[in-house]
Amino acid sequence: MNVKKGKARSIFIGVCVAPAVILFFIFMIIPTFNVFKMSLYKWGGYSNNKEFVGFENFSKLMQDTNFLRSFQNSILLVVCVTVVTMALALIFAAIISREKIKGENFFRVIFYIPNILSVVVISAIFAAIYDPTTGMLNSILGIFRGDKDPILWLGDQKLVIFSLVIAMIWQAIGYYMVMYMASMASVPESLYESADLEGANHVQQFFSITLPLIWTNIRTTLSFFIISCINLSFQFVKALTNGGPDGATEVFLSYMYKQAYTNSSYGYGMAIGVIVFLFSFGLSALVNLATKREPLEF
Amino acid sequence: MKRKLLTLLLAGSMTATMFAGCGGNDPEPATDNNASNASTDDDASKADDNNSVEDTSAPEEDASVEEQTLKVAAFEGGYGADMWSEVAEAFEASHPGVTVELTIDKKIEDVISPSMKAGDYPDVVHLATGREAALTETLTKEKALLELTDVLDMTVPGEDVTVKDKVIPGFFDTLGTNPYGDGVTYYAPMFYSPCGLFYNAGLLKEKGWDVPTTWDEMWELGDKAKEEGIALFTYPTTGYFDAFTYALLDSAGGSDFYNSCMTYEDGIWESDNAKKVFDLIAKLAEYTESSTVANANDQGFTKNQQLILDNKAIFCPNGTWLPGEMAEAPRADGFEWGFMAVPAVNEGGKGSSFTFFEQMWIPAAAENQDMAKEFIAYMYSDEAASIFAKSGAVQPVAGMTDQLDDDNKLFYGIYDNGATAVMGGFASTAPVEGVSMADTLFGTVNSIVSGEKTVDEWQKAVEEASDQLREAME
Amino acid sequence: MKKKKEMSAKSLYRLFVYVVLLALAISIIVPVAWVFMASVKENSEFYGNPWTLPKGFYFQNFIDAFETANMGQYLWNSVLVTVMALAMLLVVALPASYVLARYRFIGSKIINILFMGGLFINVNYIVVPIFLMFVDGDTFLRKIGFADGFFLNNLFVLALVYAATALPFTIYLLSGFFITIPRDYEEAAHVDGSGYFRTMIQIMMPMALPSIITVILFNFLSFWNEYIIAMTLLTGEAKTLPVGLMQLTQAQRAAANYGQLYAGLVIVMLPTLILYIMVQKKLTQGMSLGGLKG
Repeated sequence: MNVKKGKARSIFIGVCVAPAVILFFIFMIIPTFNVFKMSLYKWGGYSNNKEFVGFENFSKLMQDTNFLRSFQNSILLVVCVTVVTMALALIFAAIISREKIKGENFFRVIFYIPNILSVVVISAIFAAIYDPTTGMLNSILGIFRGDKDPILWLGDQKLVIFSLVIAMIWQAIGYYMVMYMASMASVPESLYESADLEGANHVQQFFSITLPLIWTNIRTTLSFFIISCINLSFQFVKALTNGGPDGATEVFLSYMYKQAYTNSSYGYGMAIGVIVFLFSFGLSALVNLATKREPLEF
Repeated sequence: MKRKLLTLLLAGSMTATMFAGCGGNDPEPATDNNASNASTDDDASKADDNNSVEDTSAPEEDASVEEQTLKVAAFEGGYGADMWSEVAEAFEASHPGVTVELTIDKKIEDVISPSMKAGDYPDVVHLATGREAALTETLTKEKALLELTDVLDMTVPGEDVTVKDKVIPGFFDTLGTNPYGDGVTYYAPMFYSPCGLFYNAGLLKEKGWDVPTTWDEMWELGDKAKEEGIALFTYPTTGYFDAFTYALLDSAGGSDFYNSCMTYEDGIWESDNAKKVFDLIAKLAEYTESSTVANANDQGFTKNQQLILDNKAIFCPNGTWLPGEMAEAPRADGFEWGFMAVPAVNEGGKGSSFTFFEQMWIPAAAENQDMAKEFIAYMYSDEAASIFAKSGAVQPVAGMTDQLDDDNKLFYGIYDNGATAVMGGFASTAPVEGVSMADTLFGTVNSIVSGEKTVDEWQKAVEEASDQLREAME
Repeated sequence: MKKKKEMSAKSLYRLFVYVVLLALAISIIVPVAWVFMASVKENSEFYGNPWTLPKGFYFQNFIDAFETANMGQYLWNSVLVTVMALAMLLVVALPASYVLARYRFIGSKIINILFMGGLFINVNYIVVPIFLMFVDGDTFLRKIGFADGFFLNNLFVLALVYAATALPFTIYLLSGFFITIPRDYEEAAHVDGSGYFRTMIQIMMPMALPSIITVILFNFLSFWNEYIIAMTLLTGEAKTLPVGLMQLTQAQRAAANYGQLYAGLVIVMLPTLILYIMVQKKLTQGMSLGGLKG
């Protein structure tokens, strides 16, 4: 009986897990392995002249000020966008799902829209908003600060990265809000009812009920958000500033592309890929560790 | 048409060379490892085809014409696609048995490089250097192009002159055709156009200001204009500083100095002549319209060009496509384009203008190489050149400018006042990780305008990049 | 008296909430509406103030976009790829996530770690190695006589790659949900004599419905908007909508033809918006279901 059961269990596990593992291996593990492998070569991309150079690409990277700058920019973007987006998304999700807000569905539908738009569309929109003379932002600000020199949202090298941050938050916030609303909806209503009876206000309820119960979900999204942030920052940079002005918004993926595909340094580009991989892995692991709690069941 | 601005849009612009991967056919079969199983097959079939090309290209053997297909890939620039179909038809008519299979696209890199990676090469490619995806440069650096030196001595089909004699002197002597700087031609020069300074001629007329002919007059004009709230200068993106800087360099130190710069000679960027150019651009930066930097990207560059039309700025460096590009844009009353060469850097010296031209080349792995060379030679025939000229594309063939309309005569007449024609950009090098001369030399202009970097920092960075690239020259 | 004061503070708070929500909503609606507006402008209207209303409805932009770019065919390709990829993803990912969340077996820990690691793999840089793999595959097939190859230019293969690259995220998300379901349900099912497969399909899957819908929604959007893999693997005429849009935007840029560009943006946006509103209703349903279940 026991043996039979064990066999059935093994078959069940095998049938369920094997297809996923096989697909994952072929389309993700092997290509990633190749990225790591190519990072040790000097290769332009077209010919068969691959020259093994060991860690030379990496040691060059450490002295490449452009790369270090793109690294800084990436970290700044990831931190700013993550913190603001997460906080706002949680608050809005809680407000919409807990306060009896009229037009809840309307807000939900609207807030999610930026996320379904292509980055190309969003960039076109923000290019118009940030326009120094005719842009929406400067014309609104002009009411308060008068006709002084216009603010160059995409021209000021200290400002431009935050202009990107705003566009990215605008794009991402709805996505995470809907995500949190979905998980908040599975928190049993009875918990809130009894909390109401005990006289806890909504802010207290948010911290003592909502947050702990959707904590697993928050952790998931947080780790995931860091990855998607790195990805999106690249797409936005490509469409909005192309790394400019003069490298002020270069992020490491855009730098990787520049190196691998327009500077014919494919191996060097893959070395940057390796660093991006290790970086996102490390950062997420750190976040994951810092937010570890016992999963609550309800 | 903006030759370097066409691209961009997310990673898309990258994909051209992104397929950098699968073993293409290397001209040097030595280090063939796992990648290209196909190359041996291709080489074999290439040999067959070569033989057949020789058969058919002999006009006497009409009876035994062998059908063959010439695959031509062409970049569709501002001149449109129609002229290519017309030229292809004319080529077919004069070469019985040959079918031209045309691929024309505004992003031709994206169309051809995937199949190139898969071992399927076009026979002839018309695609300039200086594009963002840099397919031409990549193939050059990888030595995957066919040598074209013998095309120079070929007779232009249907005529009795050689290619060398037909083409305007000077075009085959530059790094723009001989990318390694060793006298061996790999690119055939196509459609040339002068780059210089476009200006707001209507405004100058209205205000009674003279067109400056020296930089001192330029600064005077700048001060006068500033009082009226008009900026002297703007630029679409820093990419447009290439032609402008080249012209300044040549004007500052002559053609030998220019070639030394382009071949990364040691210390050349720290020389006095180079310093003059850096200082001049830095001074120009002070006269630059304040919102220029914010729009100096691929999304916003037309807004910078619009500044000229709106009487907010006077000069901008550009190429002959500018009036066409802005044809539909609204403009101030009485607006008129003016176009001039870059004023001389040295007192009493000559002004100069960089001549931009596009290139045609043959991949080393092309199947019908001889017919491809025949096609390139045909590009310089009166027949082909006239077809191109109808669309405004000017082949570097003597006498072509007579066929142009008035606008274009203005552009191509830029050299009539004694300005020097400057040709050819930086020499090709093996790829150097993390070093890009274009980013260092031109991209930094944004930082000079906004005051983030000093001229000394700029100059030093350019010299460093030059040092590293020199080591990679072959 | 005291109650009245509480009431007014509460209504002030509610007012504030509404103002904030409305401000955010406006910041989204206005720019999106602007794209729609821009799509019916004539080209000459783009050079002035971008916030002016269009002079009239210039629908030629749309006709041009449809005629010059093959948008209808691209739309169909996108639908096909997205549906195939989602189907494959769910069939593969659901059982795997359940088992990985609930069962310990030899290698389960390693597999879990690998999938976690997969989250950090950025599709942007593994697409080239994937492409090279397919090139090698096709070269091999050509050698043994299949002249057309199989892997490149194949919508099904593209869908398979989408499904595979979405696995880590999907499994992570679903496992995260399965972990929070009390074991009592399965124990009860086992006592009732339900087998492994039946327990999974009849008991656990329905409970996971809200999460499954979330997964579908997210992956739908990422598949729909994905263009880097599509552009790389579909080298021929067949393109998906985002790749078509890319070409359109680039083509419009070359001629600085903004009207057509924005018409193209609308053509790409509109189906997503309509589809989204439809999925949105399903999502609400799933959420209330999940809420009731507790």
